[in-house]
Amino acid sequence: MPSWATRNEVIVALVIVALCVVTALINPSFLSLATLFDMLRNGILIGLLAIGVMLVLISGGIDVSFTAIAAFSMYAATMLLVDLGIGDSLLLAFLISAGIGLSLGMINALFIAGFGLPTLIVTLGTLSAFRGFLLAFVGSDLISNVPPAMRDFSRSMLVRGTDAAGYFYSLPTAVLFLIAAVVITWFILYRTMLGRSIFAVGGSREAAARIGFNVRATQVFVYGYVGVLAGTAGLIHASLARVANPSDIVGLELEVIAAVVLGGARLTGGYGTITGTLLGVTLIVLVNNTLVTLGIPTTWQKVMIGFLILLGTGLPAFQARLRANRMG
Amino acid sequence: MTRLLGGTALGLLSAAGFALVAGTTATPAQAQEYTIPTVVKIDGIQWFNRMREGVDRYAEDTGNNSYQVGPAQADAQLQVQIIEDLIAQNVDAITVVPFSPEALEPVLARARENGIVVVAHEASNIENADWDIEAFQNVDYGAHIMDQLAACMGEEGEYAVFVGGLTSRTHNEWIDGAIARQEEAYPNMTLVGDRNETYDDQQRAYARAQELLRTYPNLRGFQGSASTDVAGIGLALEERGMEDDTCVMGTSLPSISGQYLETGAVDGIFFWDPADAGYVMQELATMVLDGEEIAEGMDLGVPGYNSVTIDGHVIYGQAWVDVTAENMDDYPF
Repeated sequence: MPSWATRNEVIVALVIVALCVVTALINPSFLSLATLFDMLRNGILIGLLAIGVMLVLISGGIDVSFTAIAAFSMYAATMLLVDLGIGDSLLLAFLISAGIGLSLGMINALFIAGFGLPTLIVTLGTLSAFRGFLLAFVGSDLISNVPPAMRDFSRSMLVRGTDAAGYFYSLPTAVLFLIAAVVITWFILYRTMLGRSIFAVGGSREAAARIGFNVRATQVFVYGYVGVLAGTAGLIHASLARVANPSDIVGLELEVIAAVVLGGARLTGGYGTITGTLLGVTLIVLVNNTLVTLGIPTTWQKVMIGFLILLGTGLPAFQARLRANRMG
Repeated sequence: MTRLLGGTALGLLSAAGFALVAGTTATPAQAQEYTIPTVVKIDGIQWFNRMREGVDRYAEDTGNNSYQVGPAQADAQLQVQIIEDLIAQNVDAITVVPFSPEALEPVLARARENGIVVVAHEASNIENADWDIEAFQNVDYGAHIMDQLAACMGEEGEYAVFVGGLTSRTHNEWIDGAIARQEEAYPNMTLVGDRNETYDDQQRAYARAQELLRTYPNLRGFQGSASTDVAGIGLALEERGMEDDTCVMGTSLPSISGQYLETGAVDGIFFWDPADAGYVMQELATMVLDGEEIAEGMDLGVPGYNSVTIDGHVIYGQAWVDVTAENMDDYPF
């Protein structure tokens, strides 16, 4: 088999195509613009979070606190906007939410880059610390009267169409944020020295330090960047849902990490691609949004998702071992 | 019956101050004036603020020393401590909404050994209580929601059902009751799909509603169970512009679904009024203290509890509240 055929991206893409074909055979209405738009809409949050997680994995770490950062930023920002009566500016809303995300990311960075603690331990700790602090000291009630700017944003559509029955399907403007995040992250990873240092640190921390990369600065950037992405994603989530619910988002972390790993990013660091991550996100969103159409009973849906993740992550690992055996 | 708010309430750790109500007013007073505290799961959230209104109203109506206390955090151990304090104060009765009935059994047993009457709410499996009062039987409640859904849909068409979790006994009993009623009374309605599981997550309810609409273009009715279900469904329908052609009914609160009731994306929501539950717990405790018999079909003097049914030491009312866009402002929680 040629080497490209065994890459995760290719396998995941094939699984996606196969799933789409099967779904379309069972229910031809699956092949519609409405389906595509719904998927894109439901992929924004997971997509933004996944890009951050991919960066962390490439840098040789792992982050599980990003969902708590997103929930914290979303809720605290919405609350500030409402309480201070400054909910008319969308830009301000995003600046506040991303700023809070950045600050929380810096707390991760302090422990990881500053004290050199293991990333999983630190982020497991901050996951519950951020969440606990949010519920205990910021607030635990839903905010369903979100500020006007957020409400308008949720109604803002890039494209809107009408189906045969006269009902709408639409693509929210928020999807532009996902596209922007992809472009910016691509630029950083492949067109800047910072990007090279992220790959280098993830590949071998020791070697990266010896050839002159600043390992700590790189880590500070990575966890700060994840914070900004999470803060942005949180605000988008609250806007689209038209409610800031402090218990939202947390719980998605495994799904997001699964998407990134499915896309080929290695838990051991140094490797990951944006294409792969987006494919992984696509597969997860697709699976989450076709099980009813496929007629799979609710009790079996989790089994299906688990099986797909095992397949997607296990196959490449198995192939790597085969290759090693052949060589060895 | 269980928490209306499901997973959401579990995580509620309110920062609202621990309102230490001065429970020991120095009035031994006449024999029929009792000191009856109501111990709630957590102080300072809207649900129990509403319950406090009922308890306070009872104090006004009767002259009893009735008041509400609760821990600042949703924690079974803190509830135990509060009840221990109340035993030490030698109150006449304790009414309680247990955070975890199992965790309270020992301390409630001790209260009863000390001659204190115990009345519980939302704890039909509790053992160490004189009575447990439930707002309704789950199956009846689910059937009631189905009646409203059927009326809205003109008793025909496809409908789908949502639960917070397949493991949530309460939600599934509501849906059992709804489906049974549909099969028996509304033959022109058809259930499509399985029970949709939302994990008490509005976004999941939203995505499920979208998918159901794509898969079943003739779907016109939805019944939700978790308090966020109908809000997620309502959002999906509103984005599709379908709010006038569909019917959405389910358990929720005005604070969660109000904006969709206003636009008509959600047509009716249902719950039980914590103020009435608080009032009726107090009334029940007083009746036990006065030595009155509690019997099947009795009227406890609170709307919805006018003809109670009794199963063991559990008392059921029919105290659901139907809320639409017209009367949602009466329930600010």
